[in-house]
Amino acid sequence: MGAGATHIDHVVISSNDSAATAQRFSENLGIEIKRTMSRPGTRAHLEFAKLDEVVLEFAGPGEVQPYDEVAAKLWGFVLAVRDLPAAIAAVRAAGYEAEEPHKAVQPGAMFATVKTGTHGVPFAFIQYNALSNEEEQS
Amino acid sequence: MLSKVHHVGIVVQNADEALKFYRDALGLTVTADREIGDQGVRGVLLAIGNSEIELLQPTRDDTGVAKFLASRGEGMHHICFESDDVAKELNAAAAKGVELIDKAPRAGLAGMIGFCHPKSNHGVLVEFATPFEGHH
Repeated sequence: MGAGATHIDHVVISSNDSAATAQRFSENLGIEIKRTMSRPGTRAHLEFAKLDEVVLEFAGPGEVQPYDEVAAKLWGFVLAVRDLPAAIAAVRAAGYEAEEPHKAVQPGAMFATVKTGTHGVPFAFIQYNALSNEEEQS
Repeated sequence: MLSKVHHVGIVVQNADEALKFYRDALGLTVTADREIGDQGVRGVLLAIGNSEIELLQPTRDDTGVAKFLASRGEGMHHICFESDDVAKELNAAAAKGVELIDKAPRAGLAGMIGFCHPKSNHGVLVEFATPFEGHH
């Protein structure tokens, strides 16, 4: 049974210059960058591409600091689930720690990070369409 | 043309321990589990949607995966994009000035594969794969 994950929702690639890394992936690999955003309040600059069902999220600082070279790395990933409370319950029942679900940045979605057991990988679950419009506004 | 993320590769100290989370707790199905002698790794693939998660456990100390584990610890190692023609992807990348680890496709756990050097992608190790017929 497990956590009921449906697919890899997104893979995060962190960089000291996320725009430059997204451009490099676009030039070298032909991956089309679909969207960019600066997340309010976090001083983060994000760029997004999508292949099939997986989003590539290039994440970096909103204000790029001087650097000798662009340095990026694969950071972590997020699995989509149909039932976030059930997914959290499943990993907890297996003996791992997971935070309580909370609102995600994505509209209507809930998100929770798994804290242990992931073998060095920042890892989380996301459930889309988890909130009603009223819950989203609250 | 790259069609999807075939898998994300995670380097682990002990694949059996990692399977307790990725297989047992998450409920993912193992689609391949074998030692690749010439690469000095045990590779385990787990299906998730249209993609997979690959666990890599070094079986020797003199390989890139072992050195990654020694210097950085467990964590994400590479991302693999699926293509219907790995050779074409490698040639196209080389024509753009991308430095390649594999100048020609070779057999790997995910099918016919080839790696780009991470320094061409700001430090991110990128793999191309064309699955063998009938595989994920």
